[in-house]
Amino acid sequence: MPGTLAVATHCPYCALQCAMSVSVDGETGVATVAGRDFPTNRGGLCKKGWTAAELLRSPDRIPAPLLRQGDGSFEEVTWSTALDLVAERLRALRSEYGADAVGVFGGGGLTNEKAYQLGKFARIALGTSRIDYNGRFCMSSAAAAGNRAFGIDRGLPFPLTDLDDAETILLLGSNVAETMPPLLSHLAGARAAGGLIVVDPRRTATARQCEDGAGMHVQPAPGTDLALLLGLIHVVIAEGLADAEYVAERTSGFTALARSVSTWWPERSQAATGVPARDIRLLARRLASGGRTFILTGRGVEQHVDGTDTATAAINLALILGLPGRRGSGYGTLTGQGNGQGGREHGQKCDQLPGYRKITDPAARAHVAAVWGVSPESLPLAGLPAVELLASMGQPGGIRALLVHGSNVVVSAPNRSSVVQGLGLLDLLVVCDFFFSETAEHADVILPVTQWTEEEGTMTSLEGRVIRRRIATAAPEGARSELWILRELARRLDAPGVYSDDPREVFDELARASAGGPADYSGIDYELLDSGAEVYWPYPVGSTGTPRLFRNGFAHPDARARIVAVSSRGPVIPGPGQLTLITGRLLEQYQSGNQTRRIAELNDARPEAIAELHPATAGDLGITTGDLVSITNERGEVRVRARLSADIRRDTVFLPFHYADEQSANILTRDATDPISGMPEFKNALVTIRPAARAEVPA
Amino acid sequence: MTGPLRVVVIGYGPVGARFVEESLDAVRTGRMQLTVVGAEVHEAYNRVLIAEYAVDRTHRDAMTITDSAEAVAAGARVLLGVSALRIDRTARRIGLSDGSSIEYDRIVLATGARANVPTLDGVPRFMAHGRHGAQHPERLDLADEQMPTGVTVLRDLADADRIRAAIAAGAGIVILGAGVLGLELALAAAEAGGRVTVVHHGGFPMPRNLDRAGGVTLARALTDAGVTVVAHSRAEAIVQHTSDTGERRFESLVCADGKQIAGELLVLSCGVAARTELAADAALPVAAGIVVDESLASWADASVFAIGDCAVVAARPPEGRGTELPGSAPAGLIGPGWRQASWLAGTMLAELGLAAAPPELAAERSAVVMLKAERIDVVAVGDVSAEPWDDDPSAGDRPRRQIALWADPEHGRYVKMVTRGGVLEGLVCIGMPRTASELTLLFERRAELPADRSVLLRLDGPDPAQVSGGSALDDESTVCLCNGVTAGQIRESARCGSETVAEVSLATRAGTGCGGCKGRIGEVLEHYRTLEAKALPAG
Repeated sequence: MPGTLAVATHCPYCALQCAMSVSVDGETGVATVAGRDFPTNRGGLCKKGWTAAELLRSPDRIPAPLLRQGDGSFEEVTWSTALDLVAERLRALRSEYGADAVGVFGGGGLTNEKAYQLGKFARIALGTSRIDYNGRFCMSSAAAAGNRAFGIDRGLPFPLTDLDDAETILLLGSNVAETMPPLLSHLAGARAAGGLIVVDPRRTATARQCEDGAGMHVQPAPGTDLALLLGLIHVVIAEGLADAEYVAERTSGFTALARSVSTWWPERSQAATGVPARDIRLLARRLASGGRTFILTGRGVEQHVDGTDTATAAINLALILGLPGRRGSGYGTLTGQGNGQGGREHGQKCDQLPGYRKITDPAARAHVAAVWGVSPESLPLAGLPAVELLASMGQPGGIRALLVHGSNVVVSAPNRSSVVQGLGLLDLLVVCDFFFSETAEHADVILPVTQWTEEEGTMTSLEGRVIRRRIATAAPEGARSELWILRELARRLDAPGVYSDDPREVFDELARASAGGPADYSGIDYELLDSGAEVYWPYPVGSTGTPRLFRNGFAHPDARARIVAVSSRGPVIPGPGQLTLITGRLLEQYQSGNQTRRIAELNDARPEAIAELHPATAGDLGITTGDLVSITNERGEVRVRARLSADIRRDTVFLPFHYADEQSANILTRDATDPISGMPEFKNALVTIRPAARAEVPA
Repeated sequence: MTGPLRVVVIGYGPVGARFVEESLDAVRTGRMQLTVVGAEVHEAYNRVLIAEYAVDRTHRDAMTITDSAEAVAAGARVLLGVSALRIDRTARRIGLSDGSSIEYDRIVLATGARANVPTLDGVPRFMAHGRHGAQHPERLDLADEQMPTGVTVLRDLADADRIRAAIAAGAGIVILGAGVLGLELALAAAEAGGRVTVVHHGGFPMPRNLDRAGGVTLARALTDAGVTVVAHSRAEAIVQHTSDTGERRFESLVCADGKQIAGELLVLSCGVAARTELAADAALPVAAGIVVDESLASWADASVFAIGDCAVVAARPPEGRGTELPGSAPAGLIGPGWRQASWLAGTMLAELGLAAAPPELAAERSAVVMLKAERIDVVAVGDVSAEPWDDDPSAGDRPRRQIALWADPEHGRYVKMVTRGGVLEGLVCIGMPRTASELTLLFERRAELPADRSVLLRLDGPDPAQVSGGSALDDESTVCLCNGVTAGQIRESARCGSETVAEVSLATRAGTGCGGCKGRIGEVLEHYRTLEAKALPAG
């Protein structure tokens, strides 16, 4: 096309980070996207990717900083007015209540540069320990399990294309066919070998990939994945199928594991899970058949109060089979958010400093403090994980102000009503977003930021590969980059340290700060990334990066992986008349829906949340497809239409979590958390369903 | 309390070990002084796996269940290879086989059960109760040594080793008894290539768990699996022969009707009996097991507890209303024992102020029995004797008992669901593994069944996608997952002029994600063209 310039960048949505090129028509100024050849997406895009450019011309963009007025309405103000006010309020709250009265809530969609700068800003400009992010709701359980077992957490410790040659892939609690569909091409090999095994209480689009001899769908009751994994481990050990040499040379903890699973024979596992004992045996034998085998986990098994232990059990299974660190095999977790990997490495987590360092480690504090030009003693200690952080809003000793970046907690956090209540108790809520999110509705100040094609930066994809995001379109006049906002606020707060608004400079500082840490980016710069090199971390100076981790050992001092024996207490069990609610995502929507609900082509396909339940269950409740139903528990009520499908277990109801207001699935979810990771129990809430009386149907 | 609570656990099998494991927090704080007395010298193993071990399907290391090193590290005393000989309840002292004694505040009896040895001419039998047994309790567990060569029970590793050797030698194995353990062994041995005959006196196998129809279904399945089943046969004696070397060996089993069933190894699988001698000797009430109340304390002594296979739980009769002993028996399954062990440990931790008191121990419902076998699926629980049209005179104010059943003898399938108010009280499920696993879960959770019970049967049918037939080409069927494009949209695109897959992709984005659906797009186009061609003449 004449007059157009194609810019190579990546999709704004999920962690697959499909490569795309964005072209802007020289005459009309209209941006369009096209798939770009890249090892992960091979030129393909899903419906969200193809329509992503619509985000750029949405009429819903926030035009200028908005300030809440006395009557509750918002008034446009200048940037300096808004920033002066925010800085002044932050100062006042800090001096009255202490630095920890200010909280920061980040997001897994922020670029590495923003995530890094946000963590730095919190620690040394605000001096607060109270920073965490929405990745706590996604990756924290798998991350905790990976760190514990391997000493490091990179979602996929191998390039995604390694899956192509797999003969067996065990996919636990992940619906990639809807959440990151171009990934399906990497499952083709396992399907051809009859070895795709999907564990999900629903026969999802991904589970259907197992049909016609391509593999096996295993359909346990929600929350029983750990019991299933213990049964599988039992069979592997009992039948002598473990890789004894690997276990002896590369792991520790096997004996305790063997003892702990000796009581999980398949029939016991069956009684806990609803999965036939014979399927458990067949599955274990298939996994141990010696071929190229991968075990992958997703949010379905991780978003539980025992999520860390469940991911640990999956890792244990992989370890006794000798998979991690062996070419053509492995364990991985499928990261969800666009920069869900990089976002969890550089200091948004409450207990972490850049480079995936521990904030409690004196050496880590000294290193990072030196890069930041402050004293190690001035760095705060560990703060609170997301759910606790949100629960502390307005409470004695809790936070009184919250800065929200790239997150929509009103829709995405569990137990919505308590979150909304907490937001109302804050003295100051500042939301940075490009659209007027449900969380922004509660804000005192809304700061409009740049998005996707309007900014430079880097993202780290689900395979631990660092990639470039590039400017293709001009930002609206009123929007600013978060880097600039943080710089301006830091200046107003007389903060120590340097806050560049140039992503390249921030990245170079990030690289230095990460040097020597587990997620070492020190050998990476924009020039390298722009050269097209395949850049996988750890990438220390002088190295060529690490496409495959664990080839020569694990990241513990003795190079051995830790097998940690875990036990199952089982889920909360539905009582009479109750069903278990599970939540998840749809092809046409993304996360809190703040972006995708504004794109007509996507939203028209999925305009409302629909509860999926089994025809037999629905029949007994007097519900048919299309009926408006009321789903309730002690936390609240969701009102949506029902769709009947034999694809779901009879004891389970599914709701997508992308929707707002009375369709918000997180009205019903529990804010109980995993004791190790702080992950909330999204995938297991008890509910009752009844038809909503016709008179109650809202106009 | 002045000193630590002195707790002595007698018996270090799976149940005793669970109690120890869950008490260690109290031991670590020094609030509990825990001594474990275990008669065997090695770490305890999971007996549930014994049949699999006997056929070499699992190995000893994978069966280990205890970690005495951890218990010792926590501060517990673990005495292995030592038996408790007597309990002096007045002095609160336990005499041990090594000549020493220990004082206690609490005793937890987890002595388990031993295999029954039926009355058979030629097989010596030992009295379980009485002064003689109590004074030499260790003798009761040395039955192996007195067993004739070629005769064994299946309870411990040594028994399993004998069976394993016999299978390896290609021996004919005769199993007396058609309970769960006997059948598991029979099936596993048959699969391992053994010649196996099961002899039992009832009309069908697993009579304690199955109704007649279920039993007959199972009997046929056993036959199909290569196991010879001899029903209606009461065993009376064994015949032994003397080899050239003078060794007397089992030769055949003689039944009441005169029939002789020959083999090289006779396995007696006739149930188990609680090990109660120690309690009986200490004048504690004993019926089919050591009698304990709902808090697992002996009816006669609140400082003595019993858990697992050696215990029978029954409400204590009200004061002055006699002391009629309960007629019930221990469950004989591991689950209830573990729950008791956890609960008792939790109660003691709470008493020591280290944990919140656990909720009252729920009365055990009948436990689900699952036959562990590769090719036969049998799950049963509860009283399943009633038939669909039977009256239910016992209902009273409760909802009536209801029975639904499905029988397909030709294909070895049988399901009976016994419900009250929609909730399972009992079930039999044979030959339908998915239905069985779902029914198990429903029973365990006391969840209500769908009004249309047949929904559950369909779990063992073909995949719904295949049942709905030709769905791949339905208008609503999604062809391109990445872009949510249906077959209907592809046909619409063809109607508007798309002739190739590439043209469909351009018009609809189908095939522009992972690319995995390009073949199916072609099929939809082909199908469309076929229909068009047929439609033309009519037009």
